[in-house]
Amino acid sequence: MVARPALRRVAIPSSLRTSTTHLESRISRSPFSTTLQSRNNQKPNNNNSVPEYAIPDPARPTHFGFETVTEAEKRERVAGVFTSVAESYDRMNDLMSFGWHRVWKDHFVSSLNPGFTPLTAPGSSPLAPQHILDIAGGTGDIAFRMLHNAHVINGNQDVRVTISDINPAMLTVGKQRSSALPASQQAVLSFLEANAEDLTQTKPLGANQVGYSPTNGIPDESVDLYTVAFGIRNFSNIPAALREAYRVLKPGGVFACLEFSKADKHPLFNTIYKQWSFSAIPLIGQLVAGDRDSYQYLVESIEKFPSQEDFRDMIVDAGFVVGGKGYEDLTGGVAAIHKGMKPRRK
Amino acid sequence: MRPSPTPLRRAARQILSSSFTTIRAAAPAHRSLSSITTTSTGSDCTCGNGRTTARRPQIQSNQNPQQQQQQRSSYHSYDHPSPPASFTPVEESILSAAYLHVPAHGFTSSALVAGARDAGYLDISPTILPEGAFTLIRYHLVKQREGLAARAREVFGGEGHVGAYKLGGLSEGEIKGRVEALMWKASREQGGYWTVAGAIMAQPSYVPPSLKELALLSDEILFLAGDSSVDPSWYTKRVSLSTIYAAAELFMTNDHSPEFMDTRAFLNRRLREVNEVGGVFRNMREWVGFTATAGVNVLRSKGVRI
Repeated sequence: MVARPALRRVAIPSSLRTSTTHLESRISRSPFSTTLQSRNNQKPNNNNSVPEYAIPDPARPTHFGFETVTEAEKRERVAGVFTSVAESYDRMNDLMSFGWHRVWKDHFVSSLNPGFTPLTAPGSSPLAPQHILDIAGGTGDIAFRMLHNAHVINGNQDVRVTISDINPAMLTVGKQRSSALPASQQAVLSFLEANAEDLTQTKPLGANQVGYSPTNGIPDESVDLYTVAFGIRNFSNIPAALREAYRVLKPGGVFACLEFSKADKHPLFNTIYKQWSFSAIPLIGQLVAGDRDSYQYLVESIEKFPSQEDFRDMIVDAGFVVGGKGYEDLTGGVAAIHKGMKPRRK
Repeated sequence: MRPSPTPLRRAARQILSSSFTTIRAAAPAHRSLSSITTTSTGSDCTCGNGRTTARRPQIQSNQNPQQQQQQRSSYHSYDHPSPPASFTPVEESILSAAYLHVPAHGFTSSALVAGARDAGYLDISPTILPEGAFTLIRYHLVKQREGLAARAREVFGGEGHVGAYKLGGLSEGEIKGRVEALMWKASREQGGYWTVAGAIMAQPSYVPPSLKELALLSDEILFLAGDSSVDPSWYTKRVSLSTIYAAAELFMTNDHSPEFMDTRAFLNRRLREVNEVGGVFRNMREWVGFTATAGVNVLRSKGVRI
C-alpha cells in the first residue's frame, strides 16, 4: 500500500533517465545508427557507392569519450590528447597494462607473420615486395616488431613498412626511436603524416607545409597488410577509415586491427578491469604524465568502442571477408584482434 | 509388474520420443518408439502409439521452420543432412588449394601460403584463418568424415548409405562387423598424415576442437554401421570407439607391416576387449541386481517394512 506510490515516484525519474541515456547513445552513435537507415534507403548491392555514414562529415556528431562532439572537433581534440601524451606514451602503456601490451603486440605481429615466404613453394617467383602500412603507428611499436619478424625471424629483406599517423608529435617520437634500429631496417622504413579516413593526401614527416603539394597519396591496391593497433577507436569516422583501408589494399591483402574491446563474457574479471581502468588509469596519468584529462579520455574511448561482434560487422560491411568468427579475444576480451581480407576481384 | 503410473509413463515416453528426435529423423522415430513400448509395456502400446502420432503435428506446428532447422542439424538424418562444416567460401578456396600441398609440406603454414598463391591470393592472406595450420588439419578431418558415407557405400555395397533406420534389423554381431570395417577404412585414409598432424593437435589450445572432431567421427561410424541404440550405451559406445580410434591411429604411425596388417590386428583386439569388458559389466550388473532384490525379499520375509 505504501510501497506502491513510492515505487511510482522512483519509477518516473528512472524511466526519464533511461530515455535520456537512450537519446544520448543515439546521438553519440549517430554515425553508426544512420548505418541502418541509409542502408535501407540504399539500392541493394551497389558495391561502389559509399554509404552516407562512411563519408567524413566535419559537422556530424560522434563521441569523444563520453562527450558528444562533431567529427571535426573530435579530430582536433584527439590531436590534442596525443600531442600531450606523445612523450610519455610508451611508459604509460607499461604502467597501465603492467607491460602486458607488449605480449598483445608480440602476439598480434607473430599471428600475422609478415615476410613469411616459403622459398620451397612451387611457383615462388619473386613476388613484389611486401608493403605493410601501419596506421596510427606513431611510436613505431608495431612497425618495429613487423620489421624484426620479417628481417630477422623470416630472413626476408623484401618487406617495407610505412608508419602513418595523423599526429606529427607521435611520429617524431617514432622517428627518434627508429634510430636505434639496424640500418637495413631503417632503410625500408618511412614515416607519413596522413589522415586514415583519406589516404589520398599524405605528406612525409617533416615535409615543409608551404610549397608541398599533397598529391602523393597512397595509391589503390598497393598494400599487402594494413595494421592499426590501439588507434582505430580514436578515429572520427571508423566506417570511412575501413573503406579507405579497403581501397589501398591489394586483393588478398589483409586488414588487421588490435584494439581494446569488451570483456563482458567474464563478469567478475570485467568488474575488476573496469574498476582499474576508471579509477587507477586517470590517476596514474595525473601522477606520471601530469595529464589526467587525456587518460580519462583514453578509458572512456575504450568504453565507447563497439563490441567484438559489432566491429566485425563493420569490417564485413566495408567489403572485407573474415575467417571463422572474425576476431580473436586477448586476455578475456580486454583486447581483440580483428582480421579481414580484401576478396579477389570477380 | 508394478501398477502402471500413467503420467509417469507418459513422461517417460515423451523423454524417449524427444531423445529419439535428437538422434534420428522424425519419421522413423515413432516407428522405433512403438517397438520399444511393445517390449516394455505390452498392452498399452497401441494407445501410446496413437497418442504420439496425434501429438506430433501439434508439436510441429508450434515450431517455426528455423527452429526445426536448428534442431535437425544436431543429429543424423537422411531427410535433412547436416549442414557442411563451417568453412566460408574464401576459406574453402584457400584450404582446398593448400590441401594439395600437404603431401609436400605437411600441415604447415608453408602449405597454406602455397595454396593461397594457387588460389590467387597473397602470401599474407592465410593469416585470416583463425587457427593457422590447425585449420588445415581440421579441414582434412572434416573432409574425411564427410567422405566416409561414400566409402561406406563401397564397403557395404548399395545399402551402406541407406543407413540406420532402414537397416533396423541388423543384429548386434553384424553391427560390430560393420563398425570394424568402417573404422579400418577411416584410419587407413588418415593414416599417413597423422604423424605430423598429431603433434599439432596435441597442443593444448587445439585439444578441444580435435576431440570434438573425433567424437563426430565415431558418431558417424556408428551411424553408418547401423547402430540405433538409444540407451546409456549411446555414450559409452562413442567414448570407447573414440579411444580405440585414437589408439589405432597412434599404433599406425609406427606400423611398417605390409598393408598395415598389424594395425588391423590391433584394432580387432581392442574392439574384442571392449566386448569382453562390456560383457563382464553386464554380468556384474545382473548379479548385483539379483543379489539386491533377493536381499530385500529376505528382509521382507523377516517382517521388515521395505
